[in-house]
Amino acid sequence: MKNNNRGLSFSNIDTDWKLTLDPENIFWSLLPRNNGDFMLPDDLISLYKKEREHLDTEMHNFRFNEPLNCVYIDPTDRCNANCPYCYIPSKIRKHGTQMTWEQLDTALSKIADHFKSAKKKPVIVFHAAEPLLVKDILFGAIKKYHKKMLFGIQTNALLLEKEDVDFIKKYRVGIGISLDASTAEVNNLSRVSRKGEGNFKKAVQALDWFEGYEGLNVICTVNKYNVDKLSDLVTFLHSKKVPMVLLNPVRLTQKRSEQVKPGDKVYAENLIKAVDTAMALTKKTKRQIVIGNFANVILAIISPTARRMMCDISPCGGGRTFLTVTADGSMVPCGEFIGMKEFSGGNIFRTSIDKAMNSKPFKQIRERMVEKIEECNTCDFRHICGSPCPAEMYARGNINKKAVFCDFYKEIIVHAFRMIAEDNVKYLLRDDSMDQMVMEYQY
Amino acid sequence: MNKAKKAEKKTKTAISFHMKCAKTANGLTHFVMYGDVPKKKMPL
Repeated sequence: MKNNNRGLSFSNIDTDWKLTLDPENIFWSLLPRNNGDFMLPDDLISLYKKEREHLDTEMHNFRFNEPLNCVYIDPTDRCNANCPYCYIPSKIRKHGTQMTWEQLDTALSKIADHFKSAKKKPVIVFHAAEPLLVKDILFGAIKKYHKKMLFGIQTNALLLEKEDVDFIKKYRVGIGISLDASTAEVNNLSRVSRKGEGNFKKAVQALDWFEGYEGLNVICTVNKYNVDKLSDLVTFLHSKKVPMVLLNPVRLTQKRSEQVKPGDKVYAENLIKAVDTAMALTKKTKRQIVIGNFANVILAIISPTARRMMCDISPCGGGRTFLTVTADGSMVPCGEFIGMKEFSGGNIFRTSIDKAMNSKPFKQIRERMVEKIEECNTCDFRHICGSPCPAEMYARGNINKKAVFCDFYKEIIVHAFRMIAEDNVKYLLRDDSMDQMVMEYQY
Repeated sequence: MNKAKKAEKKTKTAISFHMKCAKTANGLTHFVMYGDVPKKKMPL
């Protein structure tokens, strides 16, 4: 979309720094302030003019030309937990379908076929509801396809056994454990199991079994119960050698999630506190814990195309760089669309992945862009936060509305610029990340 | 350069840089959630 009013905008980061930014391509510079005054050096303007076209192209390709590279598979719709904010309708989680081995094998062989000429292996993530309910077929699939695909599992750990951990490590499977707090008392308010307890005990046992495994991460859904305890969780996970935690906001795709939504301001304050804690621990112990969603914001600024989480870019990655296959074989742009039949792009047992990618509902999600959203279309941070999430906004009545957590994102992005100004990037990204990145320009 | 001078430089110089990932998409280990789990042990 052509924007003729292009250029650098200016805003305050704090009393020490002014930000100048081209929101269209994320050319940015932090300018020192002296009693409120600042100067934009001529050679910086020259640098901007020199890099502008290249950055425009890079951003355009990242937004519109990235190929499909990840498939989420929900091998079962059922769950042994009953979290109050789950985006899957309760009825489906109780009585939903489960894939058979033959069905999972068929789905994976179709995926393998789709990616046979791709340069990189696709990432397959076994996800919600609770994939370990069909553990046997999952592990069988990993054994059969691990040379053609990279695998991940997201689990509440209620059914995880010690020998499963050995298997996961052996096959270099990425593993996400769901845990919302550092105490059973708080965690079990939101991570509720069907038996009435929570998953705290099992999740912590799993962290002990994984013992700092490189592919381990913890996903914490931030809600009104745990929002002021994020820093405690970071300290606890660091003591358990967890290298990565995501402190993601609860999604409001289901109405009942509204009841546990944290406020934007309190969430931002506590995420910043958690980032400070993670940095302090990393510096003190020389062992990292990275807050993945904050790292993604840092990357969105210093290396936008290196982002891995595709919720924070517009259009989002749903139906573009990833899709979800539900237990009945339905292909939807993202797991958030489970239960919304109008967003099915076809069934993997009967339809090709190409056809689903070109289907009307998938196109509809790819067409949901910040340019069409009031306020986002003039916001400087529109290509840093991406205004998530389309499923959430569709469920709330208008897909082209700004992010529920808009004020939170604004505060976090300003803090990310502050961290860059204070030379803290090295503590906020994984140690090995810089090895994979090259400096394209530096002022 | 001593700490005081470094701090002075930090507050007096404009900052701008842009990096590109040498490996893209699935090769990324910036913050592995799922995907290519590094074989090398992370530094402790």
